Amino acid sequence: MVHLPRHPWASGRLGFGALGLVYAALVVACVWTLLAEGDLSVGRAPLANLAKTLGEFAYPSFLDVWFGNPRLEYTSDDGTVLRVENRQQVEADYLAGLARATWTTVRIATLGSLLGAVLALPLAVLTARNLAAPRALAIAAKAVLDTLRSIHTLVFGLVLVGIVGLGPTAGILAIGLHSMGTYGKLFAEAIESLDMAAIHAVQGVGASRTQVFFNAVWPTVLPQFVSAHLYIWEFNIRDSTILGIIGAGGLGLLISEATSLFQWDRLATVLLVVVLLVASFDAMSRRIRKALA
Amino acid sequence: MTTPCIDLRNVRCDIGGRTVLDIAQLRVAPGERVAVIGHNGAGKSTLFRLLTGFMAPTQGSAQVLGRDLGRGLGARELRLLRQEVGQVMQGLHLVGRLSVRDNVQIGALARVPGWRSWARVFPAGEVARAEAALQQVGLLARAGARADQLSGGERQKAGVARMLVQGPRLILADEPTAALDPAAAAEVCQLLAASAAGATLITVVHNPALLPVLARRVIGLRQGRIAFDLPVDEVGDRQLLDLYRPADQEPVAHWHISTAPLRAPISESTP
Repeated sequence: MVHLPRHPWASGRLGFGALGLVYAALVVACVWTLLAEGDLSVGRAPLANLAKTLGEFAYPSFLDVWFGNPRLEYTSDDGTVLRVENRQQVEADYLAGLARATWTTVRIATLGSLLGAVLALPLAVLTARNLAAPRALAIAAKAVLDTLRSIHTLVFGLVLVGIVGLGPTAGILAIGLHSMGTYGKLFAEAIESLDMAAIHAVQGVGASRTQVFFNAVWPTVLPQFVSAHLYIWEFNIRDSTILGIIGAGGLGLLISEATSLFQWDRLATVLLVVVLLVASFDAMSRRIRKALA
Repeated sequence: MTTPCIDLRNVRCDIGGRTVLDIAQLRVAPGERVAVIGHNGAGKSTLFRLLTGFMAPTQGSAQVLGRDLGRGLGARELRLLRQEVGQVMQGLHLVGRLSVRDNVQIGALARVPGWRSWARVFPAGEVARAEAALQQVGLLARAGARADQLSGGERQKAGVARMLVQGPRLILADEPTAALDPAAAAEVCQLLAASAAGATLITVVHNPALLPVLARRVIGLRQGRIAFDLPVDEVGDRQLLDLYRPADQEPVAHWHISTAPLRAPISESTP
Protein backbone atom coordinates (compact mmCIF):
# COMPACT_ATOMS: atom_id res chain seq x y z
CA MET A 1 0.00 0.00 0.00
CA VAL A 2 1.43 3.38 -0.93
CA HIS A 3 0.63 6.16 1.48
CA LEU A 4 0.89 9.64 0.16
CA PRO A 5 2.89 11.73 2.62
CA ARG A 6 0.67 14.36 4.16
CA HIS A 7 2.08 17.80 4.50
CA PRO A 8 3.03 18.18 8.17
CA TRP A 9 1.76 21.78 8.32
CA ALA A 10 -1.65 20.89 7.02
CA SER A 11 -2.33 17.98 9.31
CA GLY A 12 -3.18 17.42 12.93
CA ARG A 13 -4.46 19.70 15.64
CA LEU A 14 -1.29 21.77 15.70
CA GLY A 15 -1.69 22.64 12.03
CA PHE A 16 -5.36 23.47 12.49
CA GLY A 17 -4.56 25.66 15.50
CA ALA A 18 -1.90 27.49 13.50
CA LEU A 19 -4.36 28.12 10.67
CA GLY A 20 -6.83 29.46 13.23
CA LEU A 21 -4.20 31.87 14.55
CA VAL A 22 -3.38 33.09 11.05
CA TYR A 23 -7.08 33.72 10.42
CA ALA A 24 -7.48 35.62 13.72
CA ALA A 25 -4.41 37.71 12.87
CA LEU A 26 -5.91 38.59 9.47
CA VAL A 27 -9.21 39.71 11.04
CA VAL A 28 -7.38 41.84 13.61
CA ALA A 29 -5.21 43.39 10.89
CA CYS A 30 -8.30 44.31 8.84
CA VAL A 31 -10.06 46.00 11.74
CA TRP A 32 -6.93 47.72 13.05
CA THR A 33 -5.81 49.22 9.73
CA LEU A 34 -9.33 50.45 8.95
CA LEU A 35 -9.52 52.10 12.38
CA ALA A 36 -6.07 53.64 11.89
CA GLU A 37 -7.20 55.13 8.59
CA GLY A 38 -10.35 56.43 10.26
CA ASP A 39 -12.54 54.63 7.76
CA LEU A 40 -14.54 52.61 10.21
CA SER A 41 -17.06 55.33 11.02
CA VAL A 42 -20.84 55.21 10.63
CA GLY A 43 -21.43 58.85 9.74
CA ARG A 44 -22.72 61.72 11.85
CA ALA A 45 -26.27 60.76 12.73
CA PRO A 46 -26.71 57.12 11.81
CA LEU A 47 -29.73 56.51 14.02
CA ALA A 48 -31.67 59.53 12.80
CA ASN A 49 -30.87 58.62 9.18
CA LEU A 50 -31.90 55.04 9.79
CA ALA A 51 -35.22 56.12 11.26
CA LYS A 52 -35.89 58.47 8.34
CA THR A 53 -35.06 55.85 5.72
CA LEU A 54 -37.06 53.19 7.47
CA GLY A 55 -40.00 55.57 7.68
CA GLU A 56 -39.96 56.04 3.92
CA PHE A 57 -39.47 52.33 3.30
CA ALA A 58 -42.41 51.58 5.56
CA TYR A 59 -44.82 53.06 3.02
CA PRO A 60 -44.02 51.32 -0.30
CA SER A 61 -45.21 53.37 -3.27
CA PHE A 62 -47.58 50.70 -4.62
CA LEU A 63 -49.99 51.37 -1.76
CA ASP A 64 -50.82 54.66 -3.49
CA VAL A 65 -52.61 52.68 -6.20
CA TRP A 66 -55.43 52.33 -3.67
CA PHE A 67 -54.72 54.94 -1.01
CA GLY A 68 -53.12 57.69 -3.08
CA ASN A 69 -54.66 61.11 -3.48
CA PRO A 70 -56.51 61.16 -6.83
CA ARG A 71 -56.13 64.96 -7.01
CA LEU A 72 -52.75 65.83 -5.59
CA GLU A 73 -52.18 69.53 -6.25
CA TYR A 74 -48.72 70.95 -6.60
CA THR A 75 -48.94 74.60 -5.65
CA SER A 76 -46.40 77.39 -5.73
CA ASP A 77 -45.72 79.64 -2.76
CA ASP A 78 -48.40 82.13 -3.72
CA GLY A 79 -51.08 79.44 -3.87
CA THR A 80 -51.46 79.03 -7.62
CA VAL A 81 -51.96 75.44 -8.69
CA LEU A 82 -49.04 74.35 -10.86
CA ARG A 83 -50.07 70.80 -11.59
CA VAL A 84 -52.66 68.28 -10.52
CA GLU A 85 -51.57 64.68 -10.28
CA ASN A 86 -53.64 61.54 -9.90
CA ARG A 87 -51.37 59.60 -7.54
CA GLN A 88 -53.36 56.38 -8.09
CA GLN A 89 -52.88 56.59 -11.86
CA VAL A 90 -49.18 57.45 -11.60
CA GLU A 91 -48.39 54.52 -9.33
CA ALA A 92 -50.49 52.13 -11.41
CA ASP A 93 -48.42 53.13 -14.42
CA TYR A 94 -45.28 52.59 -12.38
CA LEU A 95 -46.46 49.10 -11.45
CA ALA A 96 -47.03 48.30 -15.13
CA GLY A 97 -43.46 49.42 -15.85
CA LEU A 98 -42.28 47.32 -12.96
CA ALA A 99 -43.97 44.24 -14.41
CA ARG A 100 -42.26 44.82 -17.76
CA ALA A 101 -38.90 45.26 -16.02
CA THR A 102 -39.44 42.03 -14.04
CA TRP A 103 -40.13 40.16 -17.27
CA THR A 104 -36.93 41.61 -18.75
CA THR A 105 -34.97 40.45 -15.71
CA VAL A 106 -36.42 36.95 -15.98
CA ARG A 107 -35.56 36.85 -19.68
CA ILE A 108 -31.98 37.99 -19.05
CA ALA A 109 -31.48 35.38 -16.33
CA THR A 110 -33.08 32.57 -18.32
CA LEU A 111 -31.25 33.12 -21.57
CA GLY A 112 -27.99 34.00 -19.84
CA SER A 113 -28.11 30.80 -17.78
CA LEU A 114 -28.87 28.67 -20.81
CA LEU A 115 -26.03 30.29 -22.74
CA GLY A 116 -23.62 29.68 -19.86
CA ALA A 117 -24.70 26.05 -19.52
CA VAL A 118 -24.29 25.31 -23.23
CA LEU A 119 -20.88 26.97 -23.42
CA ALA A 120 -19.67 25.32 -20.21
CA LEU A 121 -20.52 21.72 -21.12
CA PRO A 122 -17.57 21.02 -23.46
CA LEU A 123 -15.16 22.68 -21.04
CA ALA A 124 -16.56 20.59 -18.17
CA VAL A 125 -16.00 17.42 -20.19
CA LEU A 126 -12.39 18.51 -20.70
CA THR A 127 -11.80 19.25 -17.02
CA ALA A 128 -13.49 16.18 -15.50
CA ARG A 129 -10.60 14.17 -14.11
CA ASN A 130 -12.13 10.74 -14.66
CA LEU A 131 -12.47 11.32 -18.41
CA ALA A 132 -8.73 12.01 -18.64
CA ALA A 133 -8.72 14.55 -21.46
CA PRO A 134 -5.27 15.54 -22.78
CA ARG A 135 -3.56 17.36 -19.94
CA ALA A 136 -2.82 20.58 -21.79
CA LEU A 137 -6.46 20.89 -22.89
CA ALA A 138 -7.71 20.12 -19.38
CA ILE A 139 -5.50 22.78 -17.84
CA ALA A 140 -6.50 25.35 -20.47
CA ALA A 141 -10.21 24.61 -19.98
CA LYS A 142 -9.88 24.86 -16.22
CA ALA A 143 -8.02 28.17 -16.55
CA VAL A 144 -10.81 29.57 -18.75
CA LEU A 145 -13.50 28.45 -16.29
CA ASP A 146 -11.62 29.82 -13.26
CA THR A 147 -11.03 33.16 -14.98
CA LEU A 148 -14.68 33.52 -15.97
CA ARG A 149 -15.86 32.61 -12.50
CA SER A 150 -13.59 35.15 -10.82
CA ILE A 151 -14.81 38.09 -12.92
CA HIS A 152 -18.04 39.53 -11.55
CA THR A 153 -21.16 39.69 -13.68
CA LEU A 154 -21.25 43.49 -13.27
CA VAL A 155 -17.72 43.82 -14.65
CA PHE A 156 -18.66 41.69 -17.65
CA GLY A 157 -21.78 43.81 -18.01
CA LEU A 158 -19.89 47.11 -18.01
CA VAL A 159 -17.49 45.87 -20.65
CA LEU A 160 -20.24 44.32 -22.77
CA VAL A 161 -22.44 47.43 -22.67
CA GLY A 162 -19.51 49.17 -24.35
CA ILE A 163 -19.37 46.45 -27.00
CA VAL A 164 -22.98 45.51 -27.80
CA GLY A 165 -24.65 48.65 -26.47
CA LEU A 166 -27.22 49.23 -23.74
CA GLY A 167 -29.97 46.69 -23.22
CA PRO A 168 -30.71 43.10 -22.30
CA THR A 169 -28.22 41.60 -24.78
CA ALA A 170 -25.32 42.86 -22.67
CA GLY A 171 -27.02 41.44 -19.59
CA ILE A 172 -27.57 38.01 -21.18
CA LEU A 173 -23.95 37.80 -22.31
CA ALA A 174 -22.65 38.98 -18.92
CA ILE A 175 -24.72 36.40 -17.03
CA GLY A 176 -23.73 33.69 -19.49
CA LEU A 177 -20.01 34.40 -19.30
CA HIS A 178 -19.83 34.63 -15.53
CA SER A 179 -22.02 31.63 -14.78
CA MET A 180 -20.12 29.55 -17.33
CA GLY A 181 -17.39 29.22 -14.75
CA THR A 182 -19.76 27.91 -12.10
CA TYR A 183 -21.56 25.66 -14.57
CA GLY A 184 -18.25 24.17 -15.67
CA LYS A 185 -17.32 23.37 -12.09
CA LEU A 186 -20.67 21.78 -11.21
CA PHE A 187 -20.92 19.83 -14.48
CA ALA A 188 -17.40 18.51 -14.05
CA GLU A 189 -18.26 17.40 -10.52
CA ALA A 190 -21.35 15.60 -11.81
CA ILE A 191 -19.24 13.79 -14.38
CA GLU A 192 -16.60 12.95 -11.79
CA SER A 193 -19.23 11.43 -9.50
CA LEU A 194 -20.12 8.85 -12.15
CA ASP A 195 -20.03 5.27 -10.88
CA MET A 196 -17.19 3.92 -13.03
CA ALA A 197 -17.89 0.37 -11.85
CA ALA A 198 -21.38 0.52 -13.36
CA ILE A 199 -19.92 1.92 -16.59
CA HIS A 200 -17.41 -0.92 -16.71
CA ALA A 201 -20.24 -3.37 -16.13
CA VAL A 202 -22.11 -1.99 -19.14
CA GLN A 203 -18.93 -2.06 -21.23
CA GLY A 204 -18.53 -5.59 -19.92
CA VAL A 205 -21.57 -6.91 -21.79
CA GLY A 206 -20.01 -5.77 -25.05
CA ALA A 207 -21.84 -2.46 -25.43
CA SER A 208 -20.50 0.11 -27.90
CA ARG A 209 -19.33 3.55 -26.81
CA THR A 210 -22.60 5.23 -27.75
CA GLN A 211 -24.55 2.50 -25.98
CA VAL A 212 -22.46 2.98 -22.84
CA PHE A 213 -23.11 6.70 -23.07
CA PHE A 214 -26.89 6.40 -23.45
CA ASN A 215 -27.36 3.54 -20.99
CA ALA A 216 -24.93 4.38 -18.20
CA VAL A 217 -23.55 7.92 -18.48
CA TRP A 218 -26.53 9.97 -19.65
CA PRO A 219 -29.19 8.65 -17.22
CA THR A 220 -26.79 9.22 -14.32
CA VAL A 221 -25.51 12.63 -15.31
CA LEU A 222 -28.65 14.26 -16.74
CA PRO A 223 -30.51 14.75 -13.43
CA GLN A 224 -27.39 16.28 -11.90
CA PHE A 225 -27.02 18.61 -14.87
CA VAL A 226 -30.64 19.70 -14.58
CA SER A 227 -30.22 20.22 -10.86
CA ALA A 228 -27.09 22.34 -11.36
CA HIS A 229 -28.85 24.30 -14.09
CA LEU A 230 -31.82 25.11 -11.84
CA TYR A 231 -29.49 26.13 -9.02
CA ILE A 232 -27.49 28.55 -11.13
CA TRP A 233 -30.60 29.83 -12.93
CA GLU A 234 -32.06 30.64 -9.53
CA PHE A 235 -28.83 32.39 -8.59
CA ASN A 236 -28.88 34.34 -11.85
CA ILE A 237 -32.43 35.56 -11.27
CA ARG A 238 -31.03 37.19 -8.14
CA ASP A 239 -27.94 38.42 -9.97
CA SER A 240 -29.79 39.93 -12.91
CA THR A 241 -31.96 42.11 -10.68
CA ILE A 242 -28.89 44.29 -10.21
CA LEU A 243 -27.69 44.27 -13.82
CA GLY A 244 -29.96 47.15 -14.85
CA ILE A 245 -27.79 49.49 -12.81
CA ILE A 246 -25.17 49.35 -15.55
CA GLY A 247 -27.74 49.78 -18.29
CA ALA A 248 -28.63 46.20 -19.09
CA GLY A 249 -32.32 46.79 -18.44
CA GLY A 250 -34.72 45.13 -16.07
CA LEU A 251 -35.34 45.68 -12.38
CA GLY A 252 -31.86 47.07 -11.79
CA LEU A 253 -32.71 50.08 -13.92
CA LEU A 254 -35.64 50.88 -11.63
CA ILE A 255 -33.46 50.33 -8.57
CA SER A 256 -30.81 52.76 -9.76
CA GLU A 257 -33.52 55.27 -10.77
CA ALA A 258 -35.18 55.09 -7.34
CA THR A 259 -31.90 55.38 -5.45
CA SER A 260 -30.64 58.35 -7.45
CA LEU A 261 -33.92 60.20 -6.93
CA PHE A 262 -34.03 59.18 -3.23
CA GLN A 263 -37.49 57.64 -3.82
CA TRP A 264 -37.23 55.11 -1.04
CA ASP A 265 -40.94 54.29 -1.23
CA ARG A 266 -40.50 53.21 -4.83
CA LEU A 267 -37.30 51.34 -3.99
CA ALA A 268 -39.33 49.49 -1.35
CA THR A 269 -41.85 48.44 -4.02
CA VAL A 270 -39.10 47.25 -6.37
CA LEU A 271 -37.31 45.34 -3.62
CA LEU A 272 -40.58 43.65 -2.62
CA VAL A 273 -40.91 42.40 -6.17
CA VAL A 274 -37.29 41.23 -6.14
CA VAL A 275 -37.83 39.30 -2.92
CA LEU A 276 -41.06 37.73 -4.19
CA LEU A 277 -39.48 36.80 -7.52
CA VAL A 278 -36.37 35.27 -6.00
CA ALA A 279 -38.25 33.48 -3.22
CA SER A 280 -40.83 31.95 -5.54
CA PHE A 281 -38.15 30.83 -8.02
CA ASP A 282 -36.14 29.43 -5.10
CA ALA A 283 -39.08 27.41 -3.88
CA MET A 284 -39.90 26.08 -7.34
CA SER A 285 -36.34 25.14 -8.19
CA ARG A 286 -35.81 23.49 -4.81
CA ARG A 287 -38.90 21.36 -5.32
CA ILE A 288 -37.79 20.22 -8.75
CA ARG A 289 -34.25 19.55 -7.58
CA LYS A 290 -35.56 17.50 -4.68
CA ALA A 291 -37.72 15.45 -7.01
CA LEU A 292 -34.69 14.80 -9.20
CA ALA A 293 -32.45 13.55 -6.38
CA MET B 1 -8.78 -31.81 -27.17
CA THR B 2 -11.22 -28.97 -27.64
CA THR B 3 -10.05 -25.38 -27.49
CA PRO B 4 -9.82 -24.43 -23.84
CA CYS B 5 -12.10 -21.68 -22.63
CA ILE B 6 -9.18 -20.02 -20.91
CA ASP B 7 -5.54 -20.64 -21.68
CA LEU B 8 -2.92 -18.56 -19.88
CA ARG B 9 0.80 -19.18 -20.31
CA ASN B 10 3.55 -17.33 -18.46
CA VAL B 11 1.25 -14.39 -18.00
CA ARG B 12 2.51 -11.47 -15.95
CA CYS B 13 0.60 -8.29 -15.12
CA ASP B 14 2.38 -5.28 -13.65
CA ILE B 15 0.66 -2.26 -12.19
CA GLY B 16 2.91 0.68 -11.46
CA GLY B 17 6.04 -1.45 -11.64
CA ARG B 18 4.66 -4.03 -9.19
CA THR B 19 3.82 -7.52 -10.33
CA VAL B 20 0.25 -8.26 -9.27
CA LEU B 21 -0.31 -11.40 -11.29
CA ASP B 22 2.22 -14.02 -12.38
CA ILE B 23 0.72 -17.23 -13.70
CA ALA B 24 2.88 -19.95 -15.23
CA GLN B 25 -0.04 -21.87 -16.68
CA LEU B 26 -3.80 -21.95 -16.32
CA ARG B 27 -6.19 -23.84 -18.51
CA VAL B 28 -9.93 -24.01 -18.05
CA ALA B 29 -11.98 -26.27 -20.28
CA PRO B 30 -15.43 -25.27 -21.61
CA GLY B 31 -18.17 -25.93 -19.10
CA GLU B 32 -15.84 -26.21 -16.13
CA ARG B 33 -16.83 -24.81 -12.74
CA VAL B 34 -13.88 -23.15 -11.07
CA ALA B 35 -13.57 -21.20 -7.82
CA VAL B 36 -10.72 -18.76 -7.25
CA ILE B 37 -9.81 -18.06 -3.65
CA GLY B 38 -7.09 -16.04 -1.98
CA HIS B 39 -6.57 -13.13 0.37
CA ASN B 40 -7.27 -9.51 -0.60
CA GLY B 41 -4.75 -8.35 -3.18
CA ALA B 42 -3.84 -11.88 -4.20
CA GLY B 43 -4.66 -11.00 -7.80
CA LYS B 44 -8.20 -12.35 -8.11
CA SER B 45 -9.72 -9.15 -9.45
CA THR B 46 -6.70 -8.52 -11.66
CA LEU B 47 -7.22 -11.98 -13.15
CA PHE B 48 -10.82 -11.05 -13.96
CA ARG B 49 -9.82 -7.71 -15.42
CA LEU B 50 -7.33 -9.55 -17.58
CA LEU B 51 -9.90 -12.08 -18.75
CA THR B 52 -12.38 -9.36 -19.75
CA GLY B 53 -9.81 -7.28 -21.59
CA PHE B 54 -9.94 -4.36 -19.19
CA MET B 55 -6.24 -4.93 -18.64
CA ALA B 56 -3.60 -6.26 -21.02
CA PRO B 57 -0.96 -8.71 -19.83
CA THR B 58 2.48 -7.14 -19.46
CA GLN B 59 3.91 -10.31 -20.98
CA GLY B 60 2.91 -13.85 -21.83
CA SER B 61 0.09 -15.34 -23.85
CA ALA B 62 -3.52 -15.12 -22.74
CA GLN B 63 -6.34 -16.70 -24.72
CA VAL B 64 -9.97 -16.40 -23.74
CA LEU B 65 -12.64 -18.16 -25.81
CA GLY B 66 -10.11 -18.55 -28.59
CA ARG B 67 -9.21 -14.85 -28.70
CA ASP B 68 -5.67 -13.77 -28.01
CA LEU B 69 -5.58 -10.99 -25.43
CA GLY B 70 -1.77 -10.79 -25.50
CA ARG B 71 -1.48 -8.61 -28.57
CA GLY B 72 -4.16 -6.17 -27.49
CA LEU B 73 -7.59 -6.57 -29.05
CA GLY B 74 -9.18 -3.88 -31.19
CA ALA B 75 -12.32 -2.15 -29.90
CA ARG B 76 -14.55 -4.35 -32.06
CA GLU B 77 -12.91 -7.63 -31.13
CA LEU B 78 -12.97 -6.62 -27.48
CA ARG B 79 -16.71 -6.03 -27.73
CA LEU B 80 -17.24 -9.38 -29.38
CA LEU B 81 -15.28 -11.03 -26.57
CA ARG B 82 -17.16 -9.18 -23.84
CA GLN B 83 -20.46 -10.19 -25.41
CA GLU B 84 -19.57 -13.77 -24.59
CA VAL B 85 -18.20 -13.11 -21.11
CA GLY B 86 -20.85 -12.51 -18.46
CA GLN B 87 -19.87 -10.76 -15.27
CA VAL B 88 -21.50 -10.68 -11.88
CA MET B 89 -19.66 -8.38 -9.51
CA GLN B 90 -19.88 -7.55 -5.85
CA GLY B 91 -22.82 -5.15 -5.64
CA LEU B 92 -23.11 -1.60 -6.95
CA HIS B 93 -22.53 -2.54 -10.56
CA LEU B 94 -26.00 -1.61 -11.69
CA VAL B 95 -26.81 1.78 -13.17
CA GLY B 96 -28.50 3.21 -10.07
CA ARG B 97 -30.88 5.59 -11.79
CA LEU B 98 -32.27 3.09 -14.25
CA SER B 99 -35.04 0.67 -13.40
CA VAL B 100 -34.30 -2.98 -12.69
CA ARG B 101 -35.82 -3.90 -16.06
CA ASP B 102 -33.59 -1.42 -17.92
CA ASN B 103 -30.56 -2.77 -16.08
CA VAL B 104 -31.40 -6.32 -17.01
CA GLN B 105 -31.94 -5.33 -20.64
CA ILE B 106 -28.44 -3.85 -20.72
CA GLY B 107 -27.39 -7.48 -21.07
CA ALA B 108 -28.92 -7.45 -24.56
CA LEU B 109 -27.14 -4.29 -25.78
CA ALA B 110 -24.70 -6.17 -27.95
CA ARG B 111 -27.60 -7.67 -29.91
CA VAL B 112 -29.64 -4.49 -30.21
CA PRO B 113 -28.04 -1.95 -32.53
CA GLY B 114 -28.84 1.70 -33.17
CA TRP B 115 -31.40 4.06 -31.75
CA ARG B 116 -33.37 1.36 -29.94
CA SER B 117 -30.45 0.73 -27.62
CA TRP B 118 -29.95 4.48 -27.11
CA ALA B 119 -33.55 5.19 -26.23
CA ARG B 120 -33.86 1.88 -24.33
CA VAL B 121 -36.79 0.81 -26.50
CA PHE B 122 -35.99 -2.87 -26.88
CA PRO B 123 -37.65 -5.23 -29.37
CA ALA B 124 -40.42 -7.42 -27.98
CA GLY B 125 -38.29 -10.55 -28.01
CA GLU B 126 -35.65 -8.95 -25.80
CA VAL B 127 -38.27 -7.55 -23.45
CA ALA B 128 -39.75 -11.02 -23.05
CA ARG B 129 -36.30 -12.43 -22.44
CA ALA B 130 -35.62 -9.85 -19.73
CA GLU B 131 -38.96 -10.64 -18.09
CA ALA B 132 -38.16 -14.34 -18.14
CA ALA B 133 -34.78 -13.69 -16.56
CA LEU B 134 -36.37 -11.51 -13.88
CA GLN B 135 -38.90 -14.24 -13.26
CA GLN B 136 -36.14 -16.81 -12.93
CA VAL B 137 -34.29 -14.81 -10.25
CA GLY B 138 -37.56 -13.87 -8.54
CA LEU B 139 -37.36 -10.14 -9.17
CA LEU B 140 -40.27 -9.67 -11.58
CA ALA B 141 -42.31 -7.85 -8.95
CA ARG B 142 -39.51 -5.29 -8.56
CA ALA B 143 -38.91 -4.76 -12.28
CA GLY B 144 -40.09 -1.15 -12.19
CA ALA B 145 -38.09 -0.11 -9.12
CA ARG B 146 -34.99 2.01 -9.45
CA ALA B 147 -31.85 -0.08 -9.11
CA ASP B 148 -30.44 2.07 -6.32
CA GLN B 149 -33.45 1.20 -4.18
CA LEU B 150 -32.78 -2.53 -4.22
CA SER B 151 -31.37 -4.42 -1.27
CA GLY B 152 -27.96 -6.05 -1.58
CA GLY B 153 -29.41 -9.46 -2.36
CA GLU B 154 -31.82 -8.05 -4.93
CA ARG B 155 -28.96 -6.24 -6.66
CA GLN B 156 -27.00 -9.43 -7.04
CA LYS B 157 -30.09 -11.15 -8.39
CA ALA B 158 -30.55 -8.32 -10.88
CA GLY B 159 -26.90 -8.79 -11.84
CA VAL B 160 -27.53 -12.50 -12.42
CA ALA B 161 -30.62 -11.65 -14.51
CA ARG B 162 -28.58 -9.23 -16.63
CA MET B 163 -26.04 -12.00 -17.15
CA LEU B 164 -28.85 -14.41 -18.12
CA VAL B 165 -30.10 -11.99 -20.76
CA GLN B 166 -26.57 -11.65 -22.08
CA GLY B 167 -26.29 -15.45 -22.45
CA PRO B 168 -22.50 -15.72 -22.20
CA ARG B 169 -20.22 -18.72 -22.76
CA LEU B 170 -17.97 -17.73 -19.89
CA ILE B 171 -19.27 -16.35 -16.60
CA LEU B 172 -17.01 -14.49 -14.21
CA ALA B 173 -18.47 -13.83 -10.77
CA ASP B 174 -16.31 -11.61 -8.58
CA GLU B 175 -17.32 -12.13 -4.96
CA PRO B 176 -21.00 -12.12 -5.88
CA THR B 177 -21.96 -12.74 -2.25
CA ALA B 178 -19.55 -10.38 -0.49
CA ALA B 179 -22.16 -8.04 0.94
CA LEU B 180 -24.91 -10.59 1.56
CA ASP B 181 -26.16 -12.37 4.66
CA PRO B 182 -25.61 -16.16 4.66
CA ALA B 183 -29.12 -17.02 3.49
CA ALA B 184 -29.06 -14.54 0.60
CA ALA B 185 -25.51 -15.59 -0.26
CA ALA B 186 -26.54 -19.23 -0.54
CA GLU B 187 -29.57 -18.26 -2.63
CA VAL B 188 -27.55 -16.15 -5.06
CA CYS B 189 -24.95 -18.90 -5.38
CA GLN B 190 -27.61 -21.52 -6.16
CA LEU B 191 -29.09 -19.18 -8.74
CA LEU B 192 -25.70 -18.56 -10.28
CA ALA B 193 -24.85 -22.24 -10.44
CA ALA B 194 -28.25 -23.09 -11.90
CA SER B 195 -28.25 -20.29 -14.47
CA ALA B 196 -24.74 -21.03 -15.67
CA ALA B 197 -26.18 -24.04 -17.53
CA GLY B 198 -23.52 -25.17 -19.98
CA ALA B 199 -21.31 -22.12 -19.66
CA THR B 200 -17.95 -22.02 -17.97
CA LEU B 201 -18.31 -20.52 -14.50
CA ILE B 202 -15.44 -18.92 -12.63
CA THR B 203 -16.24 -17.52 -9.22
CA VAL B 204 -14.26 -15.64 -6.62
CA VAL B 205 -15.56 -16.61 -3.18
CA HIS B 206 -14.37 -16.15 0.37
CA ASN B 207 -16.73 -18.48 2.15
CA PRO B 208 -15.37 -22.07 1.90
CA ALA B 209 -18.85 -23.43 2.59
CA LEU B 210 -20.00 -22.10 -0.78
CA LEU B 211 -17.20 -23.75 -2.74
CA PRO B 212 -19.02 -27.05 -3.44
CA VAL B 213 -22.10 -25.19 -4.66
CA LEU B 214 -20.16 -23.25 -7.26
CA ALA B 215 -17.16 -25.29 -8.26
CA ARG B 216 -15.59 -28.66 -8.98
CA ARG B 217 -12.10 -27.20 -9.06
CA VAL B 218 -10.49 -24.68 -6.73
CA ILE B 219 -7.57 -22.43 -7.56
CA GLY B 220 -5.76 -20.75 -4.66
CA LEU B 221 -4.06 -17.48 -5.54
CA ARG B 222 -1.37 -16.06 -3.28
CA GLN B 223 0.59 -12.91 -4.06
CA GLY B 224 -0.32 -13.15 -7.72
CA ARG B 225 0.75 -16.78 -8.14
CA ILE B 226 -1.21 -19.99 -8.21
CA ALA B 227 -0.63 -21.64 -4.84
CA PHE B 228 -2.72 -24.71 -5.55
CA ASP B 229 -5.13 -26.04 -8.14
CA LEU B 230 -7.19 -28.89 -6.72
CA PRO B 231 -10.52 -30.65 -7.05
CA VAL B 232 -12.96 -29.12 -4.61
CA ASP B 233 -13.17 -32.13 -2.32
CA GLU B 234 -9.40 -32.08 -1.77
CA VAL B 235 -9.39 -28.54 -0.45
CA GLY B 236 -9.37 -28.66 3.33
CA ASP B 237 -8.50 -26.48 6.28
CA ARG B 238 -4.84 -27.05 5.70
CA GLN B 239 -4.79 -25.54 2.22
CA LEU B 240 -6.99 -22.68 3.32
CA LEU B 241 -4.89 -21.87 6.38
CA ASP B 242 -1.76 -21.95 4.28
CA LEU B 243 -3.33 -19.79 1.60
CA TYR B 244 -4.59 -17.12 3.97
CA ARG B 245 -1.54 -16.96 6.26
CA PRO B 246 0.03 -13.50 6.58
CA ALA B 247 2.60 -12.61 3.95
CA ASP B 248 5.53 -12.59 6.39
CA GLN B 249 4.76 -16.02 7.83
CA GLU B 250 6.42 -19.25 6.78
CA PRO B 251 4.25 -21.89 5.10
CA VAL B 252 2.41 -24.26 7.40
CA ALA B 253 4.66 -27.04 6.11
CA HIS B 254 7.25 -27.56 3.44
CA TRP B 255 4.55 -28.48 1.12
CA HIS B 256 4.39 -27.97 -2.58
CA ILE B 257 1.77 -29.09 -5.00
CA SER B 258 4.31 -30.79 -7.24
CA THR B 259 6.33 -32.62 -4.56
CA ALA B 260 4.12 -33.22 -1.56
CA PRO B 261 1.29 -35.69 -1.25
CA LEU B 262 -2.00 -33.94 -1.78
CA ARG B 263 -3.31 -35.03 1.60
CA ALA B 264 -0.45 -34.43 3.97
CA PRO B 265 -1.17 -35.29 7.61
CA ILE B 266 -2.25 -32.26 9.61
CA SER B 267 0.02 -33.29 12.50
CA GLU B 268 3.17 -32.34 10.58
CA SER B 269 4.95 -29.71 12.67
CA THR B 270 5.60 -26.17 11.57
CA PRO B 271 9.30 -25.67 10.87
